[in-house]
Amino acid sequence: MRRVLVTHVESPVGRRVVKALFHDPEVALVVGLGTRPEPSFLLPYRGKVAYQRIDLAKSRHLQSFLHSERFARVRPDSLIHLPFAVEHSLERVPGGVPSLVSETRRLVEESVEQRCIERFVYLSSVFVYDPVPGNGNVVSEGQGLGFDGEGDALVRAWIDADLVCQGELHGSNLKMTILRAATIVTETGEYLNSPPLSHVDAPLGYDPMLAVVSDRDVARALVLALHADRPGVYNIAGREVFPRSQLGPSASRSTLSLGLAWLERLVRRAPAPGQAFDRYGLVPSARLAHEALGFEPQYRIEVRGQGAARRIDTVRCR
Amino acid sequence: MKRDDLQTLGPSLGSDPFAQGDGTLPYLIRLRERSMRIVAEPVARRPRGEPREEALEAPDLGPPVPELPSYDDRDESAGALDRLAGLTLTSEEEERLAQLMQPLGGRPYDEFGLSPRVTRRALAFFKLLYRYWFRVESSGHSVLPEKGGAILAANHGGVLPFDASMIAVDGALAAQPPRLVRTVVDRWAGTLPFVNVFYARVGQIMGSRDNVRELLRANQLVLIFPEGMAGVRKRAAERYVLQPFHLGFVEESLRHRVPIIPVAVVGADDQAPVLWDVPALAKLLGLPFFPITPTFPLFGLAGLLPYPVRYEIAYGEPFRFYDEFPPEAIEDPHAVRYMAERVRRRIQEMVDQRVLARRAKRA
Repeated sequence: MRRVLVTHVESPVGRRVVKALFHDPEVALVVGLGTRPEPSFLLPYRGKVAYQRIDLAKSRHLQSFLHSERFARVRPDSLIHLPFAVEHSLERVPGGVPSLVSETRRLVEESVEQRCIERFVYLSSVFVYDPVPGNGNVVSEGQGLGFDGEGDALVRAWIDADLVCQGELHGSNLKMTILRAATIVTETGEYLNSPPLSHVDAPLGYDPMLAVVSDRDVARALVLALHADRPGVYNIAGREVFPRSQLGPSASRSTLSLGLAWLERLVRRAPAPGQAFDRYGLVPSARLAHEALGFEPQYRIEVRGQGAARRIDTVRCR
Repeated sequence: MKRDDLQTLGPSLGSDPFAQGDGTLPYLIRLRERSMRIVAEPVARRPRGEPREEALEAPDLGPPVPELPSYDDRDESAGALDRLAGLTLTSEEEERLAQLMQPLGGRPYDEFGLSPRVTRRALAFFKLLYRYWFRVESSGHSVLPEKGGAILAANHGGVLPFDASMIAVDGALAAQPPRLVRTVVDRWAGTLPFVNVFYARVGQIMGSRDNVRELLRANQLVLIFPEGMAGVRKRAAERYVLQPFHLGFVEESLRHRVPIIPVAVVGADDQAPVLWDVPALAKLLGLPFFPITPTFPLFGLAGLLPYPVRYEIAYGEPFRFYDEFPPEAIEDPHAVRYMAERVRRRIQEMVDQRVLARRAKRA
């Protein structure tokens, strides 16, 4: 019977994870960690789910929690860390994006030192991969990461945090599982973890393919990773793939970008940050997650209508 | 763990869910109260003496909101291009196309961006080129597997890749059963605006190992030009002389145990003979090569259009190296080069036979 800590429990994925763990007979106790007062959605789960308000970005908050009597009573043996599964407006995160990296580093270090935590499941994003030219490219877990110093700040933070967790894949007692999720679609049709969908400008002549996955499937994958004794890196994606134009903001604007190096050199125009994801598609292959974790998407994403009348539905597969 | 233990964890655990420190009511309570207010709102009484009102009619909210169309529905509301495609394609060809798109399982796009709708339009256009511009003659379709995956290795020529499109159309319209041919495209093409999207929508893929592996696992036909860019930039004097092969296609064939089918294409090297390649201009413009042909750059971009030459496509007997060599051979570069060379020689023989036959016919 597992005792699980879940960080950022108030995030859309965090909610799903708590619900999934609540119904999981192999989980004895769930302690959700969040920065806000106890969210009301936890009320029905009080028999098994507890909540602790804590600002993980602050070292002393984490230290006091880890050395408290509460923590000793809970004795968690697993941790699910969801730092980036929040809505894209990261301005709301105190300390901004870098604090999410530092809290990840701190949590990993403390988990290694505490020794009571055996399993660490970290939710990353497929946008850590280096995009290569093409409308849609299948990427496996072996694809290199995009160490582009000029990239989007959020993507750089993802890569940093991913590397922090990768550092514990081998050589420590911690069983680390990194799940790199495609664009997460919530029940209300919002997107998480997707830089290409976060802004309205799109370069003309490019329409990259984006893999999507339901937040429920992501929660399932996290729970599967928690129980499977298979540390490693796994891609998580649903069955559907859509071009950016189908998913992006309905009032998206096209910006002229001829994509010809000579022309851009001629006008001395440096590519805008994050532009690679606006041009080139990343479609993660979830084959390894299927084989090792038994992950199979149970929800499919449907896009209906166009423009302002567009509707995105999450439908359970038969 | 008992519930008592949970309660000792802190004030937020197991405490009264309806109590909140700041005096405001929790959301659930507020919601409940609001709904109660709505329900309990007093109804205004009818004053005495007033006539009883007729039963209230439902407010006129206009016509019901129509169900939003799905992708399938949208396909039926065809545009001008779709209607044109419908006029060009016969019912048998439409059936073949439907068979090709079966692996998508109703999805609007596959992993690489293939769209059935765009493919239908493109097939209608390229069918006209196949029949009336290039007047393609093809032979040897029986070697194409009915279901399994395979690598088609072909010679490359012409400035624009019409040889790839003709092989793809041949696979769709002439093979029995129809097979979707997925061409591996140079990565440079993936950087070009509009071109990269078009290629993806009609089923072409960018040159990466992951892409090829994914398609072979899905039992698809993958067309590779092992000569690479050297094939299209070779000068007219070297027409139909195959350039050295890259080796990746042999490695993937061994890894996935799929046959390599040699494909000879005659005609592509005549569609736009390259007189000179100007590397300095190519470097300046960021292009892989800069060809000078009899019509380009004399007539601008229109000069790149292919001449109406006859095409011949021939499929040869498959190479099954995985039966001849042990799996460790993939690690041996000499063995892999030997296998690639065998394929190259076979394609060269097939091309030579057809070129000689053409010359004899002309003579």
